[in-house]
Amino acid sequence: MTTYILRRILLSIPVLFGILFATFTLGRLIPGDPCRAILGEKATDAVCNEFIHRHGLDKPILVQFGYYVNEIAHGDFGRSFRFSKPVTELLIERLPITVELSFAALIVSLVVGVPLGILSAVKHNTWVDVITMLWANTGVSMPVFWLGLMLAYIFALALKDTPFQLPPSGRLSPGLITVPFYEIWNLELTPGTTTFTVLNFFSRMNILNGLLSTDFKLVKDAAIHLILPALALATIPMALIARMARSAMLEVLGQDYIRTARAKGLTQRVVVLKHAFRNALLPLVTVIGLSLGSLLGGAVLTETVFNLSGVGRILYEAITARDYGIVQAFTVVIAVFFVVLNLLVDISYAYLDPRIRLN
Amino acid sequence: MKRNLYVLLSLLVLASVVLAACGGTPATEAPAATDAPATEAPTELPATEAPATEAPSAYEGMMVESPDCDYGGEVKSIEAVDEFTVKFTLCVPDPAFPSKIAFTSFAIQPAEHLETTEGKPLENPIGTGPYKLESWERGNQVVFTRFDEYWGDPAMSQTLVFRWGTESAQRVLELQSGTVDAIDNPGPDDFAVIEGDANLQLLPRPALNTMYIGFNNNPQVDGFDNSTNPIANELVRQAIAMGIDRNRIVDNFYPTGSEVASHFTPCSIPNGCVGEEWYEFDAEAAKALLTEAGYPDGFETVLNYRDVVRGYLPDPNIVAQDIQAQLKENLNITLNIEVMESGAFLDAADSGQLVGLYLLGWGADYPDQTNFLGYHFGAGSSDQFGDKFDDIVDPIEAGAQLASDDERAPHYEAANDAIKLHVPMIPVAHGGSAVAYKAGLEGNPHASPLGNETFAVMGNGTDTFVWMQNAEPISLYCADETDGESLRACEQVTQSLLGYEVGGTAVEPVLAESYETNDDLTEWTFTLRQGVVFHDGSSLDANDVVKSLVVQWDAADPLHTGNTGGFSYWSGLFGPYLNAPPQ
Amino acid sequence: MSQDIQTTVKLNVEGLSLNSASLWNITRRRLFRRKSAIVGMVILAILVFIALTAQWLAPYDPVKSMLDVKDYAGRAQKRLPPCIHAFGCPEEQTQHILGLDGNIRDEFSRLLYGARLSLLIGLSTVSFAIVIGTVLGALSGYFGGWVDNTVMRVMDVLLAFPSLLLAIAIVTVLGPGLQNALLAIGIVSIPAYARVVRASVLSVREMEFVSATRALGGDTMQILFRRILPNALTPLIVQGTLGIATAILDAAALSFLGLGAQPPTPEWGAMLGAERNQVFTAPHLVFFPGIAIALTVLSFNLLGDGLRDALDPRLAHLS
Repeated sequence: MTTYILRRILLSIPVLFGILFATFTLGRLIPGDPCRAILGEKATDAVCNEFIHRHGLDKPILVQFGYYVNEIAHGDFGRSFRFSKPVTELLIERLPITVELSFAALIVSLVVGVPLGILSAVKHNTWVDVITMLWANTGVSMPVFWLGLMLAYIFALALKDTPFQLPPSGRLSPGLITVPFYEIWNLELTPGTTTFTVLNFFSRMNILNGLLSTDFKLVKDAAIHLILPALALATIPMALIARMARSAMLEVLGQDYIRTARAKGLTQRVVVLKHAFRNALLPLVTVIGLSLGSLLGGAVLTETVFNLSGVGRILYEAITARDYGIVQAFTVVIAVFFVVLNLLVDISYAYLDPRIRLN
Repeated sequence: MKRNLYVLLSLLVLASVVLAACGGTPATEAPAATDAPATEAPTELPATEAPATEAPSAYEGMMVESPDCDYGGEVKSIEAVDEFTVKFTLCVPDPAFPSKIAFTSFAIQPAEHLETTEGKPLENPIGTGPYKLESWERGNQVVFTRFDEYWGDPAMSQTLVFRWGTESAQRVLELQSGTVDAIDNPGPDDFAVIEGDANLQLLPRPALNTMYIGFNNNPQVDGFDNSTNPIANELVRQAIAMGIDRNRIVDNFYPTGSEVASHFTPCSIPNGCVGEEWYEFDAEAAKALLTEAGYPDGFETVLNYRDVVRGYLPDPNIVAQDIQAQLKENLNITLNIEVMESGAFLDAADSGQLVGLYLLGWGADYPDQTNFLGYHFGAGSSDQFGDKFDDIVDPIEAGAQLASDDERAPHYEAANDAIKLHVPMIPVAHGGSAVAYKAGLEGNPHASPLGNETFAVMGNGTDTFVWMQNAEPISLYCADETDGESLRACEQVTQSLLGYEVGGTAVEPVLAESYETNDDLTEWTFTLRQGVVFHDGSSLDANDVVKSLVVQWDAADPLHTGNTGGFSYWSGLFGPYLNAPPQ
Repeated sequence: MSQDIQTTVKLNVEGLSLNSASLWNITRRRLFRRKSAIVGMVILAILVFIALTAQWLAPYDPVKSMLDVKDYAGRAQKRLPPCIHAFGCPEEQTQHILGLDGNIRDEFSRLLYGARLSLLIGLSTVSFAIVIGTVLGALSGYFGGWVDNTVMRVMDVLLAFPSLLLAIAIVTVLGPGLQNALLAIGIVSIPAYARVVRASVLSVREMEFVSATRALGGDTMQILFRRILPNALTPLIVQGTLGIATAILDAAALSFLGLGAQPPTPEWGAMLGAERNQVFTAPHLVFFPGIAIALTVLSFNLLGDGLRDALDPRLAHLS
């Protein structure tokens, strides 16, 4: 097991370098002067010369890459000329929003997708199965942005003045100000330290912050605002998971030991949940890994539709503003994030699958 | 469920890794709720405050003066005569000076605050207004709270929240679902919806604005050569001016209350539409002109704009596509549409970087030709139209120095005629727009013709009043912002010497109690209101006024930094900077 | 026993590669037994028909404003709701089945032309990705060693990005526009095909008939293209069909964000993006393009699923 994990981690190192190289290359492919592409059109020659020297842009391309890797290893993602602040600061500001959204969507897709998949496998070839699978197929086919608009229309306007009314945009009700949990805990933190930054990062996830500071009004308000975007974002992974759960269950249910279990007179519920489901879990873990990509990509669209100021939205703004510094940095960060998550998924896969564990 | 645990774990680990790598850059937090010393709050009587016994003799007033007027700007000196007197000496007479100095960009902040923020109080302005900035959650909302030591009538709501949404549908939806109290610029199609809703009210905003199609003939732009650039050819610009049916645009894509522009400036502004009316639409004449210019088969160029709704341009994408369709149909000119982010677009336009055509507009800051023709085509105007034309600049500068509307008329007539000849832009429409409020609000809900609604004078019966506008402010240091969304937010916090009446355009005293001028309108002396307290607890004095304005005027001042360092309003209204670096 | 397996595998392989007529028959029979696949094919057939005949079916020019249409008698008002005479719309009004859009263009005509565009987008990006991916995967699988390593690590890196995000980054560098968007989506989908082809090449490479051909001194390239690649065809077809669905969805997303098709191109994602403000005032302009995208993507998904089941012998017992 340990060897497997180690090998898996070692294998992802070249991929990480590849990601850095790819974004580095993308950055160099930007038409025009790299300095003005990053610092904006108004940068003076003096500023540009300094910039070129600092980033080694006058050196051979491989050396430039070295500079780039070195800067990123030190957490320096450069500056955004649009927001005139370091990209790192923007990341700390915006990433929690996207993480919170994606996580909520993942939970929604699991909570709904897995039971649906199991149900449809158990009721194989009945109308339940047909409807579920038709629904799952429709789910993967719907544009996220369109679904978002439709959801906003239904829940904010059509269901107005009913208990089901939900806010169409934003993260919190207007005027609600959040206090970071570490201030409620009276932790004496110095801004600038790593602890502060990490805690600050987590305090920006409203639900987590609300739970940690036992402010349930905040939790409720944040959750209400999160429902619609999470639902829209969850549709595709939900459908993927339901489909995968169904086929995995079908395969397992057809096997001999299940027939034996049934023959022993165990109830359907026990057979399905205790014997079959556990073995169908494996492929599900893989599909969660696959869903992460669509979650992070979909976040760009969902955040645009629901006016959430996460990584996706800022990326979109940066693109239209030609703020290449942000685009480059955020792409790296999200890709690294994605690789690490997939690594964790793989490791848990190994943990669940004895064949790999014992090797 | 183990899977969830793993995902959670992975998120935590990764986030920590990223953050640890970041080395801990603190995000700027707004100061805590109660930071202003509330010591002198109860005794707010101006009479007992600030006994003027020791002040005048000991007071060291700042003064910045230009040795001569050759640098080209309007201001000769700014001087703190005593603690409560500020005197401006101008190089040329300026009848519009009170209107100009009242503008948001010339708001006063404590001199010390400008020092400590190194001239960049971008996210922490300190003003004297009825609201102070509580927090600015980037991307989400700006929260203001009532300033209890405000010198005037206290704000009606304890908390004021600014939110934003680029989509007008989203704003209307928020208003309808009751989560916000007022929204800016409902979409043209939503006017009827709001008027038909008994819970809402629609307040039209007078059309003191202009939408224009700008041309840039700047030869300095990369890959942009006057000899090959059709836009640099005056005949081509005239052809395009004649080849666009502006009536069709206004009739179909603007809300009621809009009108086709006969001149650049709306007619309700004095001398706004003197001189020849704009070209009539004539596709055949336009085609002939284009042929004469050497482009019988048309050409291909770019149409830039920002996808942001403004009173002058309620539906940018639609209008852009109609212009695209018209030029294709009438002149066989192919326009490639390029949508830019708002801030980047304004920057590019201002510095003359845009290629081809672009859609932009202007809403009045104060009702004077200097704010329209002067700001766009005067000597101090930006490079947005490329090379300037002397026969446009000269009459504008001459007119700006005269006091009466009658005297100014012939100059503006000449300027308008020259604009029609050279076509630096095509004025398209004066757009009617509106602000929508919930019905039954307290106080005075209004729509300001200048777009600067004052939220201190209205309330909804609760502690919190929520306003939703089109976009997030770029920064809250409005000396260096030109965007209406930023300016409106600044106006809640900071104040200038003078101001505009609530919901109107008349100039009234604010931080100055009174002012006087000499006969030839070159010396303006302002007497400050006494006992005015800034949000940081310090008191307003004349040096704050001088410093706040000098950092904009004097390019050599170490605090002449701002957000981009553009200070467009200063140069637009008062001409070139003092000590401007040689071009 | 092992002899046995080898014979069956060989038979299977030969059946796939050489006797494709019978494979086609089997597949077709299996495919037509699945109702969902039939639904997918019917929708697709209709879409293809619309795409091919758009210029005759469409009542108006998709990029022309009614204001520019000569002798247009109707009321040229933007965002006019649908008017269908058969459903009680007064005869004196001009018929616009799906109404007019914000620029007073016929929404129905735009939607029809959009079908052409969407299919083209799907087919062109996927063919691009298949060609590049096949070459890379085949080389990688056949030669192994450092070739394999290099190619596959590059593919890993491409796969390490969430696809839409990578496409966005590429378009940012190339500049917005439909062609660049297609190129970006194409690049992003290469790894899937490269992997599929590599896997099937690996599975066939060591088989007897290949080794035999090689031992007899056959040309390497010939072996690769005549013997090995046909075996990769099955998974490629499945992957490609599903890939078209993703490509269409991604292209629509890029256009929605303003990075893909530029106005006035009648691309569904762009149409939706342009009118997203009108969800409440003119829902038809948001609803129909969205449905069109969903239906098209659905048809490819259903067909792809059906194909996979039909072509996969393991699943034969399930249907």
